[in-house]
Amino acid sequence: MAVSRLARLAAAAPVPVFAALGAGARGPVEELTLSDDVTLVDSPRHATVLLVVGAVPRSLIRPLSQVHDQLAHPRATAWWSSEEATLDPLPQATLIRAESDVVLAVGGLHAALLRGERASELDVLPDEPANPWRGLGANGQGGEGMMGGTPYGRPMAMTGEDRDGLPLDQLHLRLGPFLPAFPAGLVLDTVIQGDVLQECAVVGNPFERDELLGGALTATPPDPERTLAAMERARARHHLHGVARTLRLHGLDALARRTLALAMAPPDDGDRVRYLAHRLERSTALRWATEGVGRIDPSAAEAVGGIVARAAGWSSDARSDDPVYAELGFTPIFRHGSDAQARWRQRLAEAAQALDLAAAAGERRSDGAALELPWGDDDADRRLLDLLPGLLTGQELGDAMTTLDSLDLDLERVARAVARTERA
Amino acid sequence: MPLASVYANDWLAIPVLLAVVVGGVYLVSVLDELFGEVVSGSRPNLGRSLRLPVRQAALLLCQSATRTEHPDRILWPVAPAAYAALAAAGMAVIPFAEGFAVADVRTGIVVFGAAEVLTFVAVYLHGWSANAPLALIGGYRSLVQGFSFMLLSMFVLIGVALPARSLSVGQIVEAQSGLWNVVRHPLGLPLFLVVGLGAALWGPLRLPDSRELAGGTVGEVSGPQRLAWEFARRAMLVSYAVMAASAFLGGYLGPWLPGPVWLLGKSVAMLAVFVALGHLVGRVRPERFMAQAWTVLLPLSFLDILIAGVEALP
Repeated sequence: MAVSRLARLAAAAPVPVFAALGAGARGPVEELTLSDDVTLVDSPRHATVLLVVGAVPRSLIRPLSQVHDQLAHPRATAWWSSEEATLDPLPQATLIRAESDVVLAVGGLHAALLRGERASELDVLPDEPANPWRGLGANGQGGEGMMGGTPYGRPMAMTGEDRDGLPLDQLHLRLGPFLPAFPAGLVLDTVIQGDVLQECAVVGNPFERDELLGGALTATPPDPERTLAAMERARARHHLHGVARTLRLHGLDALARRTLALAMAPPDDGDRVRYLAHRLERSTALRWATEGVGRIDPSAAEAVGGIVARAAGWSSDARSDDPVYAELGFTPIFRHGSDAQARWRQRLAEAAQALDLAAAAGERRSDGAALELPWGDDDADRRLLDLLPGLLTGQELGDAMTTLDSLDLDLERVARAVARTERA
Repeated sequence: MPLASVYANDWLAIPVLLAVVVGGVYLVSVLDELFGEVVSGSRPNLGRSLRLPVRQAALLLCQSATRTEHPDRILWPVAPAAYAALAAAGMAVIPFAEGFAVADVRTGIVVFGAAEVLTFVAVYLHGWSANAPLALIGGYRSLVQGFSFMLLSMFVLIGVALPARSLSVGQIVEAQSGLWNVVRHPLGLPLFLVVGLGAALWGPLRLPDSRELAGGTVGEVSGPQRLAWEFARRAMLVSYAVMAASAFLGGYLGPWLPGPVWLLGKSVAMLAVFVALGHLVGRVRPERFMAQAWTVLLPLSFLDILIAGVEALP
């Protein structure tokens, strides 16, 4: 009796969900933070439901299975997708169609698990070391003294000079592809000393030349037929989503929800966004955390384009050449700094500007020429990805995450750019 | 009178202390939820906020423990227990009413300081024993963070001991019958709150358990052990709130109402400040915070002790 009472209480708790992002999944997942009935958690260990979202490349199924096995019991998997397909190694996964109420569906799974109406999912992968024990010595400690050897196929940490000239242990660490602070599918091979990324390399792009299982939840390419007002509101939404993500990364969950609520129901002009920007710019902690972090050389920033360029002192914006925008009195906003702080401030300023433009645009349409996308142009992400290893190397892990977050990188857009080049 | 209170160890104070810890932890969770709703712009829902901590705790109790590859099976569960025990030990030296404390020893603030230093051992062990990289990095961070503000706490507490001419928390409270320490030397309380945030891994100083480390030291922990850890963090916050109320706001002293009511009110106010800071101040950057801690906060704590010393001259 006592147990079932406890289980009933537990079933009424908000569902801790760990989201594994596929293509076109980030926005819809972030909107879940506005729900009282779901909590997005940072680690699979804290979740009862593994929510796989969007289109998942087949090559990510194995890491996905590893994440699955890290969830504590009782656990269930749900797959939120616009198309039906099977995640064959995760056959227990419940499909949630894009148009249905995901909070309700996930809540149903959670309650059924805790009431014992649904069995907890078993491990997908065998519970054994990935490689055999290959250590040397009586305790398997390996080569020279306490160092060396390759227990379970992984080299022991060896010392190397760090930036202060001290010999410290180097840790070889693969980050991603489902780290919550990472863009979907990003995998970094790193060498870490203490908190510092000594080496950093991008491991492929799973969205290139890989079969995608299921369908993305959001269609990304903007529709040229839409009115200018709708396009600008979409731009504001995109940037507010990005700023909310930044705030969440810095532990400001409640302010992130407030920003996200603005994104979900864009106000009629930019005043509320400007007020938010004003308040955030006064935050010392946020300034400390982003000022001077992830600084991009201005000439490299110009080559990337978009927000990255305009946060580095360039006024390049494809909308400047458009007669309809000229009629509305559009001039690009830009600022100097070229760091993470300049980029989140730029995004807020452009979101406010976009809402003002939307208010002034009425029923106007642009002539359909290639306009500035919220993320610059179609190739911007590819150029960013090339910059990434150089940008992150030498940074502390926290700063590297701040930098990555400030770039609005999307590997699926990279894959589309690559595919376009190959067709051409 | 105060000499009598110095050795007044009351066995009844032990269940009271435990009730304060448990009640305080619950209150922190409720306040945190309510503040979060206010800051996010939604209407605060008191009923929901009151039920939520119980439901979340029940969920963690229903969840199984997970296991990493070769964790330290002994130290891993010991870490949250030690953390919570240190919070309770720190609180044991604080009198809840005149002459009513678990152990209002003559060296009260030394005991509190010792418990605070050992906190970082508990946090480091928590990160280390999981045998997982991100948790380990969280453990490293706790040490870096600890070194940069641990000194502050001792200087600030010595600042409140000077006017009382005693290290006993009871005496420190009694010495504020004329004027609260927060007025006498106003730098002390804000500096002490910074230390409290760090010791409880709360808000801007939640670096070892931060989001970009996927939960850091608590990232590999689930079920009852995670409940224990989250309980211990909040217990530490409660311990600092009660200490702040006693050392700077006159503790149980106050007119008309009974002493414990005053202490309760002041402690709840301090908890509210901690919780509000958690929602309004973002995670600090470790490098920047360390620099500021050594070059700004530490000199400020010297200034605080100087003011206290000059003020305490006969």
